[in-house]
Amino acid sequence: MTARKSGSRLETEIERCRSESQWDKIPELVRQLSAKLISNDDLGELLLGECKLQTYLKENPIKPGSSPRGPRPKLVEVRKHLIAALDRGNLKPDYLQEASLLMAKLCYVEGEYKDALGHYNKVNLEDLQLVGAPVYRLSMIAEAYSTKGLCLEKVPAASPALSNKNTGSPASNRNATERDQEIITCYEKSGDIALLYLQEAEKALSAGIQNRSPKPGPTTQDMELGYFLETGLQRAHVIHFKNGNLTQGVGRFREILRAVETRTTQNLRMTIARQLAEILLRGMCEQSYWSPLEDPPTVSPLDNPTQQGHTYSKNYTLSRRPRVYSGENLFCPQENTEEALLLLLISESMANRDAVLSRIPEHNNDRIISLQSASVVYDLLTIALGRRGQYEMLSECLERAMKFAFEEFHLWYQLALSLMAAGKSARAVKVLKECIRLKPEDPTIPLLAVKLCIGPLHWLDEGENFAKMVIDMGEKAAEFRAKGYLAIGLVYSLKATDASLRSMQEEYQRKALGAFQRAQSLTPTDHLAAFYLALQLAVSRQIPEALGYVRQALQLQGDDVHSLHLLALLLSAQKHYHDALNIIEMALSEYPENFNLLYTKVKLEAMCRGPEEALLTCKHMLQIWKSFYNLTNPSDSGRGSSLLDRAIADRRQLNAMTLPDFSDPETGSVHATSIAASRVEQALSEVASSLQSSAPKHGPLHPWMTLAQIWLHAAEVYIGMSKPAEATACTQEAANLFPTSHNVLYMRGQIAELKGNMDEAKRWYEEALSINPTHVKTMQRLGLILHQLQRYSLSEKVLRDAVQVNSTAHDVWNSLGEVLQAQGNAAAATECFLTALELEASSPILPFTIIPRAL
Amino acid sequence: MLAMDQGVVEEWLSEFKTLPDSAITTYAASLKDKGALVPALYKVIRENYSDLLEPVCHQLFEFYRSGVPQLQRFTLQFLPELLWSLLSASTARDPHTSGCIEALLLGIYNLEIVDKDGQSKVLSFTVPSLSKPSVYHEPSAIGSIALTEGALANHGLSRVVYSGPHLQRETFTAQNRFEVLTFLLLCYNAALSYVTSTSLQSLCQLSSRVCICGYPRQQMRRYKGISTRLMVTSEFLVQLITGIHYALCNGEVELGSKALDDVLYRAQLELFPEALLVGNAIKSSLHSAALKSNNKEGGRSIQVEITPTASRISRNAVTSLSIRGHRWKRHDAVDLGSPDELMDISEVDEGVWPGGLGPDMTPPTITISNSTTTLNLGAKAMKKCRLGGRSSKDKEAGPLITGRAASENTELSIKRLTLTSSQSVPKGGALTSLTRTASAVFSRSFEHVASSNPAPASNHTASEAGHYSCSLQEEGMGYRSPVPNHTQRSPSISLHLGSDL
Repeated sequence: MTARKSGSRLETEIERCRSESQWDKIPELVRQLSAKLISNDDLGELLLGECKLQTYLKENPIKPGSSPRGPRPKLVEVRKHLIAALDRGNLKPDYLQEASLLMAKLCYVEGEYKDALGHYNKVNLEDLQLVGAPVYRLSMIAEAYSTKGLCLEKVPAASPALSNKNTGSPASNRNATERDQEIITCYEKSGDIALLYLQEAEKALSAGIQNRSPKPGPTTQDMELGYFLETGLQRAHVIHFKNGNLTQGVGRFREILRAVETRTTQNLRMTIARQLAEILLRGMCEQSYWSPLEDPPTVSPLDNPTQQGHTYSKNYTLSRRPRVYSGENLFCPQENTEEALLLLLISESMANRDAVLSRIPEHNNDRIISLQSASVVYDLLTIALGRRGQYEMLSECLERAMKFAFEEFHLWYQLALSLMAAGKSARAVKVLKECIRLKPEDPTIPLLAVKLCIGPLHWLDEGENFAKMVIDMGEKAAEFRAKGYLAIGLVYSLKATDASLRSMQEEYQRKALGAFQRAQSLTPTDHLAAFYLALQLAVSRQIPEALGYVRQALQLQGDDVHSLHLLALLLSAQKHYHDALNIIEMALSEYPENFNLLYTKVKLEAMCRGPEEALLTCKHMLQIWKSFYNLTNPSDSGRGSSLLDRAIADRRQLNAMTLPDFSDPETGSVHATSIAASRVEQALSEVASSLQSSAPKHGPLHPWMTLAQIWLHAAEVYIGMSKPAEATACTQEAANLFPTSHNVLYMRGQIAELKGNMDEAKRWYEEALSINPTHVKTMQRLGLILHQLQRYSLSEKVLRDAVQVNSTAHDVWNSLGEVLQAQGNAAAATECFLTALELEASSPILPFTIIPRAL
Repeated sequence: MLAMDQGVVEEWLSEFKTLPDSAITTYAASLKDKGALVPALYKVIRENYSDLLEPVCHQLFEFYRSGVPQLQRFTLQFLPELLWSLLSASTARDPHTSGCIEALLLGIYNLEIVDKDGQSKVLSFTVPSLSKPSVYHEPSAIGSIALTEGALANHGLSRVVYSGPHLQRETFTAQNRFEVLTFLLLCYNAALSYVTSTSLQSLCQLSSRVCICGYPRQQMRRYKGISTRLMVTSEFLVQLITGIHYALCNGEVELGSKALDDVLYRAQLELFPEALLVGNAIKSSLHSAALKSNNKEGGRSIQVEITPTASRISRNAVTSLSIRGHRWKRHDAVDLGSPDELMDISEVDEGVWPGGLGPDMTPPTITISNSTTTLNLGAKAMKKCRLGGRSSKDKEAGPLITGRAASENTELSIKRLTLTSSQSVPKGGALTSLTRTASAVFSRSFEHVASSNPAPASNHTASEAGHYSCSLQEEGMGYRSPVPNHTQRSPSISLHLGSDL
C-alpha cells in the first residue's frame, strides 16, 4: 500500500473502496490523490465529506421511527468538506451531482428536510444516469430516492408551495394523492436501484476476488445495507399494506423476490418470502389469486374499499432494472397454495441454514432467534400443506425441523401428528413418546399413541402402557379419563381375541368389560362407551345386556353404523332374523356403500328370503364396487367394461401393487393368530367375514380385497344352493386376485365336499391350514372329514385345537361331540353337545368381531 | 319475522324472476346495494319453518346455476348458515324442515363436482420443488441442504390431486353427508376473499356449535340449541379451520379464536391428527404474530413492518451453514464430535466439526448417554478406528501455536481424556452392559493415545486429541446415525490402532 499508484489506478482503487464501503481507506487515498493534481482538491473534499458522513452513520445508525436531531460536531465537519467541494465549482458534473446528493443526505440526517428536498430538486434525480454508472453511484442514487421519499413523508403535504389552503376540497385531495404516489414511486425506484446496486456490487466483488487473488481484503464480510437502502427496499410495500392496498403490496413483494438474490438480500428475501406466504394464506383465496406473471386484477376484494383514493398505479420505467430470474421452464405458481408453498420452501431452506446448533449459553439468544424464525415457517408450511392434505410431504418437512427441536414440544408434537396423518404409525408412536416426556400432563398424547397401537400397529402391550398413563392421571385427565378407560378396554378386548388360552381370553374379557363399564359410567353421554360395552357383552354372549347398551348407544347417536350393525347381529343371535334384516336395511339406507353391512345382509337374506335375494345383493355389491373404484381411479376407465375383464386385466398390476402395500409394516395390520400367514393372505383374512377378525377397518379397504370378498360371499351363497359350478366360478374370480388366500382354499374345499369329493376337500383344507393354521372354520370341516374317514383321534385333535382358538364356535363343539361319541366317550360327547346347544342359542349370523374396534 | 323483512325478500324473489338474461350482470353488480336483503335472508334460513325458505332456497340455487360469479358468491355467503340448519335438523331427524336446504346444498355440490363439459372435476395442484428453477429462485443458490433424499425422490414438480373425483349425490345419507359438506366448504374457502364479515361470523359460529354440542364445553359457551353430539370427520374440521384462519386474520378475532379453540377441543377428543396439526400451527403462528404487533387496528390484521436485513444471528454461532464447509473423510468407525454438534449428526451423517470452536480449544468430553441400542463396533470398524488430531496448520489456530505450545495442549488434552474415561468407565454400574462395552472400547483407545503419544517415535509435532463424543441414542430413531462415525481431519498424523486390537 505504500507504493504510489498511477492516476487511473488510484481512481479505480477509490471507486472500489466506495463501492465496497471501505471508508477507512479513503483518507489515505485522498492524500495520494491531492499529491497528483491541484484540481483534485475538490474531489478530495467530496470524498472526505462522504467518508466522514458514512462513518458517522455507521457509528450512529438511524433507527427507524426516530427522527434525527439538529447538527452535531462531526457533521459540521462533513458540511465543511461538502461546501468546499461545491463552492469552487471545479468539479466534473458527475462529481457535482454526487456532492449535491451527499449534501441532501446530510441535510436529512440533520433534520433539515426541506433543504434536502431543495437539493434534490436542484439535481433532478430523474437525470441521473443508471447506464454505465459506477457501482457506488447506483447506491448513491438509490439512497437519494429513498431519502427523498423520507423527506416527502416528513414535510407536511400542505406545504406553502401548494397554494390550495382549504383542505377537504377535491383539489387538495388530489394533491394528497399525487404526493402519496410520488412518495411510493421514490421508494420503489430506490428499491429497484438498490437491488441493481447489490447485484452489481456482488459481481464486481467476485470479479475482484478472481483478479487479485492473494489480497486479504474483507471479502468475507457481508455488506450492510444501511438505513436508507433498507427503507428504500421495504417502505413502499409497507405503505401499500398500511393503506390496505394488498394488490400493490403483493405486487411489490413479488418484484423484490423475482430479482436475483445477492448475499446481502438473503435475509430480506427470507423475511419477505415469509410475509408474502402469510398474506397468501391468510388474506387470499383461490378466486382472488393472480399469478406472479399476470397483471393484477383491476378490482380486487383484497383492497380496502374505504381507501379507494389511494389507488396507486406504477408509472415509471428505469433505464436499468435489476436482473430477475429467467430462463426456460421456470416454474411459476398458478394458485395461492402453490405460491405460498414455494415461498415457504425457499424460506425454510434459509431458516434451516441459519439453525444455531451449538448449545453453549452464550448462543442462547441466537438459538431462540433461529428457532423462532424457523417455527414460523414450519407453522405456515403446516397450514399450507394441511389444507391440501399433503401430510406425507409435511412429515418430511417437519423432519427437517428436528435440528431445532431439542426440548421444543411444539415441533415434536407437530412432527408426531404429521407422521400420524401420513400413516407412518410406528415412527409416530416413537415421536409421541418424546412428546409425552416433554409434556407428561397432556392426556391427548398417550391417547393418540393408543389409537395407533390398537389400530394400524396392533401393538397391544404398548397400547396398554399408554392407556394406563391416561388412567394414572386420574382427575387431571378430565374429559379424557373416560377415553383412557375406553382405550384400555379396547386393548384388553383385542388381547382377548388374540389370546390362545381360554383362561387368558376370559381374563382379558373380564378386564375389558370392567374398563368399558368404567368409561360408560364416567361419560354416560358418549355413545362409543355404550357401544363398546355392548360389543364386549355380545362377544361374551351376554345378549340381553348387550342389547340394552346398544339401544342406549343408538339413542345417543342414532345413525352410528357400528351400533346399528351390532344391533342387527344381536337380533340375529336371538334368531330374530327378519328384525335383523330390517335393521340392516335401515342402516344401509344411511350407509349404502358399507360393504360390512352388505356382507351381513347377504347372510341374512340367504337365511330369510332365500339365496336368490342374496345373490341379487351380491350383484348389487359388485355394482357399488365398480362405481366406487371406477371413479376414484379414472385411469382405469378405458379398460374392458365387465368386471371380470377388469379383474383379470388388472391382475398383473395388482401383484405389483398389493405386495409392497401390505408388507409395509406401517400400513398392514398384524393379527396375532396369523402371523405365520403371509401378509397379503393375512390382510384378506382380516376382511373375510368368515373369520373372526379383530383388526379394525381403517380408511378405505383395499379395493381388490373387497372385490375378492364379494366373490367369496357369492360362492358361499351358491354352495348353499348346491350349485358347485357357479360356486367354482366365483371362487375362481377371488383366486385370480388372491391365489394363496386360505379363504379361497377353504371355499374350494367346500365345493369339493359338495361334489362329494372328500379326498380333494381334505387336500384343500390342509392347504388352507398350512397358510393359516388357526382358521377355525377350516379346522371344523377338516375335523368332520377326518371323522367320516374314521380317523377319530386325529379328528378330535383338530377339533380340540379349533375350540382352543375360538371357544364360542358352536358347530366345532358339535363336531367334537360327534367324534367323541363315535369314540364311545358318551359323557364327554354329551357335554360337548350341551355346550354347542347353549352357544348356538346365542350365536350371531356372523361373528361379532367383524365389527371394527378402534379408538 | 318482521313484515318489512318479508317484503324485502319477496321483492327480491319476484325481481329476479322477471329479469331478462341481458340484465343479469348489472343486476348481479347491484345486489350488494340491497342492504336489508342479506340480513333478511339470514333470518329466513335461521327460522326453519318460514314459508319463504323454499322459494329462497330455490332462488339461491338459480343464482348459483347462472354461473355469474357475483351471483354464485351471493349464494355462497349463506353456506355456513345453511350447513348449520342442515346439521341441526339432521339431529332432530325431522326430514321436512331441511328438505329444501338439502336440495340446495346437493344442487351446488352436483354443479361443482363437474367441469363445463360434464366430466368429473379433479382438483389438483403442483407441489413446487426447490430442485426446479422458479420465478423466485435458482436451485444452485439453495445449496445441498434442501436437496434431501425426499426432495430428490420426487425430483421435479409433481401434480397432486387434493379433491375429487366425486360421485353425483341425490340424497344426503349419514355416509356421504360429511363428504359433501367438506367439498362444499372447500368451494366456500376458495371464495373467502369475497364473503362478507357476517358470513365469516356465521362460519365461526357453525364451527363452534358443530364441535361442542353435546360436550361439557357447551355449558361454558352457553349455547342452548340442540344438545346432541354431531359426528364430524377430520377433513371437515380441517376445512372449517381454513375458514376460521381467514376470519381470524380478517377482523373476526374474538369469534375466530373461540371457534379455533372449540375445533381444537373437539379434535383432541376425537384424536384427529390432521385437524390438530393445522389448528396447532395456526394457533402458534398467530401467537407469535400477536407478540410482534400489539396494536389492534381492527379490520385486516395483515401488517408488514420494516425489518432489519442484517442477520440477527451472531457471526460466531455454529449454524448449519457455518459447519457445512467443514468436511472430514469418512471412515466407518467412531464418531468424534463435540457434544454441541450432536444435533447436527441428524442432518448430515458425515462427520462435521464446528468451525467456530477452532481457537477455543474446548476440552474434550465424552458423553455416553444411557441407552439400549446395540452399538455395532465390529472388529473391522475398530481396526479402522483412528484418533484424529488437529494439525497445527489449522486455519483458525493459525501459525501462532508453536510446536511446544501445541504439544502442551496435547498433554493437557490427554490428561483430561484419561480423567474423563476413568470417570465414566469403571463406575459403569448405572450403564447398561452395552454402553459399558462401548466405553471400555473408548477407554482402551485413550490409553493408547496416552501411552504412545509422548513417545518420541511418533512424528507428530502437534497432535491434539480432539473432542470426543459418542452419541448412543435411544432406539435408533433415525435422526442420528446409529452407527458412529469417526472423523478425522489430517490423515498424516492419525494413529492406527489396528494391530493392538
